[in-house]
Formats: sequence, C-alpha cells, structure tokens
Amino acid sequence: MAMSNRLISKKTLIAAASAAALAFVANPAAAQDIVLGASVQLTGPVANTGRYYRDAYELAIEKINAAGGVKVGNEKRKLVLKIYDNQSDVNLSVRQYTQLVSQDKVDFLLGPFASNFALADSAVSEKYKIPMVQGGGASDQIFARKFKYIFGTLAPASNYFGSTIDMMKTLKPEPKSVALLYADDSFDVSVADGTRPKLKAAGLNVVMDERYSTNATDFNSLLSQIRSKNVDAVLVAGHETEILNFIRQAKSLAVAPKMYSFTVGVPSEDFRRALGTDANYAFGMTAWLPSADLKDRWFGDATKFEAEYRTKFNYEPDYHAASGAADVEAIVQAIEDAGSTDPAKVRDALAKVNFDSLYGVIKFAENGQIDLPQTVIQVQGDKLVAIQGTKGPIHPAKYPMPAWNAR
Amino acid sequence: MDLLLQILINGVLLGGLYAVMALGLALVWGVLNIVNLAHGAFIMLGAYVSWHLYTYLGIDPFLGLPITAAVMFVVGYATQRGLLNLIVRAPMFNTLLITFGLEVVLTYLAQIAFSADFRTINPSYAGNSIQIGAVVLPLARLMAFGIAVVLTFAMWMFLLHTRLGRAIRATAQNLVAARLYGVEPRHLYAMTFGIGIGLAGAAGGLYGTVSQINPYIGAALTAKSFAIAIIGGLDNPLGVLVGGLFLGIIESLAVLYIGATFADVASFGVLVLVLIVRPSGLLGKTA
Repeated sequence: MAMSNRLISKKTLIAAASAAALAFVANPAAAQDIVLGASVQLTGPVANTGRYYRDAYELAIEKINAAGGVKVGNEKRKLVLKIYDNQSDVNLSVRQYTQLVSQDKVDFLLGPFASNFALADSAVSEKYKIPMVQGGGASDQIFARKFKYIFGTLAPASNYFGSTIDMMKTLKPEPKSVALLYADDSFDVSVADGTRPKLKAAGLNVVMDERYSTNATDFNSLLSQIRSKNVDAVLVAGHETEILNFIRQAKSLAVAPKMYSFTVGVPSEDFRRALGTDANYAFGMTAWLPSADLKDRWFGDATKFEAEYRTKFNYEPDYHAASGAADVEAIVQAIEDAGSTDPAKVRDALAKVNFDSLYGVIKFAENGQIDLPQTVIQVQGDKLVAIQGTKGPIHPAKYPMPAWNAR
Repeated sequence: MDLLLQILINGVLLGGLYAVMALGLALVWGVLNIVNLAHGAFIMLGAYVSWHLYTYLGIDPFLGLPITAAVMFVVGYATQRGLLNLIVRAPMFNTLLITFGLEVVLTYLAQIAFSADFRTINPSYAGNSIQIGAVVLPLARLMAFGIAVVLTFAMWMFLLHTRLGRAIRATAQNLVAARLYGVEPRHLYAMTFGIGIGLAGAAGGLYGTVSQINPYIGAALTAKSFAIAIIGGLDNPLGVLVGGLFLGIIESLAVLYIGATFADVASFGVLVLVLIVRPSGLLGKTA
C-alpha cells in the first residue's frame, strides 16, 4: 500500500513537472501581457458603486485587446486585469494594493472607488513608484500631497457645486438662504470646503452648515431645522444611502425647500428607481453625459460606449463608469507615448497626455488631477435632464420645487 | 419652541422603531443568553421579505408584517434547532463567534441573491404626514410607532400570561427547575429564537418602509439594538421600549444641540453612562 502510494506520488510529481515545463514554454507569450491591478469594492456597503469600476475596466480592456492591444515600440501587447475585492474596507484595500505591486508584480495600477480609498491607496503607488490612474476619488486632499504617481480623472471635489451655484443665480425667484449638509469623510469635507467660499461670493446666506456622520440614517432633526429656518436651497454632499433616506424623510416630514441638490445618486439609474416618483425635482451634477461629441479612439464615441456597456452589463453606466474606462485608456495612451512599460517613463508620459476620450479631454494638471466642468442635471418626471453646462443653460430647470402634497 | 417640540416628536417616533428592532435581540439575550450578532442581518432579511411581498405580490407592507414575521419565525426556529442549539451551553465567546459568522454569511448570501442595489418599500402613503399646528407627524413612522407599542405590550402579556411565555421565563430563570417541570429546552429555545427573529423580521418590514434596504444595513442595526437592550434592560419588554424611546430622543436632541456628526457619540455615550450607573438597564432590577 505504502509502495503504491509512493508510486502514485512519483507519477504525480512527473505530471506536475511536465505541466510546469509546459507552462514555462507557454509563458514567454504571457509575459508580454501588460497587467493592470486594481482593488475595488465588489462587496460591502459601497459595492453598488464599486461595480461601475470593475465593469468599466473589463469592458475597456476587452475592447482594446480586441483591437489588437497596446503598441509598445514595434510590438502589440495585450492587457490583463488583476482585480481584488476589498469588501469596502480601506485597510484591506491598502493591503491588496501592496500585494498587487509587491507579489503579483502588476505593471500599472487602476484605482478603487471613493476618495478615502484613493487617499490611502495612493500611498502604496507612491512608495513603490508604480503609476496609479484612478477615477474614483475626487477629494482635493488626494492631490495636495505632491505625490508623483497618482493621477485622477474625477473633477475636483471642491468644485462639485460650482456650476450649481452659477445656476442658482439664474433662478427666479433667486434662492437666498442655503443649507449646506455634508458627511464627515474626505470627499464630502472637500466638497464643503470648496463650496463655502463660492456661496459667499455668490452672496448667498448660509443659514445651516452641518456635518453629519457617515452612514447616518436619520435626518429628521436636520430636516426639521431646514423647515423651521425656511431654507430656500439645500445642498447635500453625502453618499447614496444617506441621500435616499434624506429624500424619503423630507417627504414624510413635508419638507420642500425651493430646491435641493446632491453630489451623488441623481445620475445613477438604480438610485432613481429606488425612489420612484419621489426622485422628481432633485438636482445633481455629472462631469459626463453620453454624447456623440465625445470621440473616442477605441469605442468610437461616448454613446457607443454607453450602448456597449448597457448591453454587456444590463444597466446604465454613469460618470463613474466613464471615468473608469478613461483610466484604462490613459494608461494605454501613456505606454504608447513612452514606447515602454517602464513605470517611471510611463509616469512622465501620463503627466503629459492630452487626448480625446469618451469621457472628455484627458489631461492632468500638475497635481495629477483632471479638471472637468460639472453639468447640472435634474430629475424631471422619469427623465434625467441636463440643465446647465459650461456654455450656459441647456434646458430650463423645474423650479421652485412644489410642496409634496401638490405633486 | 415649535422646533424643539418637533424634534422631540421625531425622537419619540424614531425610538418606537428602535424598540421594535431591539425587542427580539433582548428576548433572545435574556432567555438564551445568546448575544445575537446576526440580529441586524435578520432584520435585513425581514426587510427583503416585506419588499418581495410588496413588489411582486402587491401586499401592503403593514398588512404583510404578520407574513414576514411568520416567515422569519420559521427561519429563526430552524436556525436555533439546527445550529445554535449545538452551542447553547458553550461559553459566551463561542456564541458570539457563531452569530458573527452567521451575520457575514447572511449578508453575503443576500448580496448574491438580491444584489447590492438599493430597495425601498414605497407604498403611495409612505411619505404622507399629518400636520397638527406647526408639528408634522410622518404617517409611516407613526404607524411603526403604534406597532412598536402594540408588540411590546403583546410580548409582555405573552410572557406573563401564556403557558409558553411562562415556560420561557422559567427557563431564563432556572433551567434545571424548568426541566423538572417538563419544559423541553431544545424546542423551547427554538421557539424563543423563532419569536425573536420573527420580531426582527417585522422590524425589517417597518425599516424598509421608512428607510432603505441593502444587504449591508444589518451591522449598524445590530449595534443600535444592542445599545437599546442594554439601556433598557433585559428583564421585560417595557424596558426595551423605554430604552428605544430614550435613545431616539437623545439622538434627535444631539443633532439639534451638539451637531449631526455627534449623534452616534451621544447614543453610545449614554450606553456607557447607563452601564456605569445602572448596569442592568433603566428598568432592570438592581442587584
């Protein structure tokens, strides 16, 4: 018995060795692949937004590979995605990025979703000098540390409400008093810090400036204060779950300011479906709307990207997805410009990229962040309508918002 | 003044919802000595049951509560009978571990089954309100509050006056004596856990009607229920109602006077205070 066991194990050994040898022979081709690593929220409380990044990365890589791949010098090389699920846990995501660069030896990094993640994870890319292009963190903090290996394709958090405030000045009757509510995390604090001086410059009276704890579920006290102070315009910087609760509770307390606007949620189909008709009149913003004017080397244009994405994944992409796809394209562009996959050379090429994409013109400022204008959007009926872009008004806003019982 | 009154009412209504969430946890803890860390996950499952009943069968979330509670009772009974009875006499640490594991498993199963999409149970009247003078009473929360009060008293009467209720209390007080009187603990434990989870299910249905549902709401709800059970005490359901109301009011006032970011600091600060001053809860018997 012992004898035959040993025999089997010998056979197994031989089989394993020959398999390894085969793999070795097959390897040179695989070694040509350019591996992009990412740790994304596939489960956990922000999985709902995390999926945009996984899906966008997959779709962009598939598209680029189908077109032959990335041209490095004289050869074409394929892209491979190595993705981990960080379970919406920042500490785990830092560990996973460390693993990606130190053990998996990926060539370049794509980002996670959300500013607090990008803030922590960019320390890894900086330490190992592997460029990270991320489309999930907008907080100005990420780019304020003079890091050289982090690039971001979300517009700066501090300017999220900029176009909204411009629009507010065109509304009749003009809103006078404003409540600014924001969650106590990196992104939303940056939004609030950037919004305050803009409100002041616009001559608006900020009657409430309240920070609330992330993942708060009860907004009844804040809403009661909004009603008691008769606030005209409410600006909320928070997360989708909080904003859902905020709108539902506003309805149940019959709180209807003249307008309210939210940093996230409004562009997302799932968010609007969860609220149904209660989503009506909510303002939001997006740096991306699928338009045929946004030409793209790989997809053709933004509408084609939108259609392909929807067919493949069965839901509507929003700016998170477009930003994620642009990150892959930025890395590819930089590799081709550098003619090399050397991290330092690609980093220098990234700092100089300037190309049209489905997401807009990709060009990074000196701090590594893109600067894109935010288009004001509003839910009108069951449609998402663009209200104001860089070139002024697009469609009229529905304003003021009617009382809840008058809808 | 109007604002203060409104905030107090908000707090009371919120507290009612809190109380329903914590009732089941307190019962299971008091009788089985299991701190059920999966309690919030069961609330989440109850919310999904209600959501399915409402979305696919058109059953009103309030009328559907008994169905949700019954479904969750079966789930709870089976969980206790098949899993938790195995470790019911093990050290507390083991029960914490196993219920924590259960929480993780239920959460991820829920994401696989229902995706991470947000859901709301949103019948046409869910956003309605009743206005009295300057004060607004949100209808759904008012109904949830009414159900909380009814359930609390029903639980209290059940424990005091029914044969099963008395058996549950007897087991909680002295297992050996209860067995001598013919109580079959395995069945009784499962009944108790089933009732606890049934209550969690009902709380989930109410929660989905006033808030939103996703697979990850459970952990925060467990923490809140835990705090309420400690503040109120485990001796009787009235304590849980008082604990819930107390916490709801404290949180609402904290938002008004200290700042919204400190609501949780206030509620868990109160928890610590209660543990120092009255370790067996506001209505608990002092040793």
